[in-house]
Amino acid sequence: MALKDFSAQDHAAITTLGSEFATAEVVGCALGFWLDQKWGTSPWGIILGAVAGFALGMYIILRAVRELDRQNKNDKQVQK
Amino acid sequence: MNVADTIAHHILDHDWGIFLGKIHLPVTTHSVTIFAVSVFLFFSLLWASRPRPSRTGRLLTTLLEEYVTFIRDGVVRPNLGAEGRGFLPYFCTLFLFILCVNLAGMIPQMKTATSNISVTAALALCSGGVILYSGLKYHGLIGFIKGFVPSGTPGWLVPLIFPLEVISTVIKVCVLAVRLFANMLSGHMVLLCLLLIIFIVGKMHLAAGVGAVVPAMGLEIFMTCLELLVAFLQAYVFTLLTAIFAGSVIHTH
Repeated sequence: MALKDFSAQDHAAITTLGSEFATAEVVGCALGFWLDQKWGTSPWGIILGAVAGFALGMYIILRAVRELDRQNKNDKQVQK
Repeated sequence: MNVADTIAHHILDHDWGIFLGKIHLPVTTHSVTIFAVSVFLFFSLLWASRPRPSRTGRLLTTLLEEYVTFIRDGVVRPNLGAEGRGFLPYFCTLFLFILCVNLAGMIPQMKTATSNISVTAALALCSGGVILYSGLKYHGLIGFIKGFVPSGTPGWLVPLIFPLEVISTVIKVCVLAVRLFANMLSGHMVLLCLLLIIFIVGKMHLAAGVGAVVPAMGLEIFMTCLELLVAFLQAYVFTLLTAIFAGSVIHTH
């Protein structure tokens, strides 16, 4: 896939992906830790929270890629 | 000299411990900085926006107009489109406020209030409120909730996708706060650590400490220039990302 010229919006959206992934992971872990403290289920809450956070991060990245891909296709159709 | 204590003393917020009877007033170094910046911006912009016939006065007016045009054409219009007209004042305020708070940290004896997660979280909450408001305004409650699910999603996937989309929107707002906070905190920490190199090396031997002054100060000057750039960049990125998120809520696919 040939890359198109990125606009400032694309740059901002792409460079923010890394921190979004990290934040999703941290939020998942924090939620799991909190549930562990509340219900005394250590260490399962934090493990499941980390897995869920990772899945959420992957989902965010895949969706962003799909979005960029769709924009790319739209631009190509416009050019045709 | 304890290095960790010195860094913590310079980076963290300090309570002034002012009480009004039994009520603890939240007067801290960061809140005072924010208040000072707000008052400064309020009065200086009020003063600058008055029409003046002199040459300098006209230059000042042109400068302000340039700034507003920059935010309008560079941030609001490409992302929010025609619907963004009403949001322009918010974005102008946001950029200038974050920029001034960031730059206030570069002035000796002043603190960087944006290196406090509570401050950036409050700013991100304001931006989250604007995103929520723009979604509710242009789509209504039902349309706004529907907009979370991308078009073309199979019906059985909707219960799975909907919470994911809602959480990812919340995380986007969290990321706004975390990015500004992390950038400002780490930058100032690096500045301080570079200065402390001189004292740490100087403890081993005085001559070594004197020798470390030149390279450490060279790095310090470089990092200070970088921090000035980061202050502008992060203010711009915060404004731009808020506009992008608000735009993606308004123009759902």
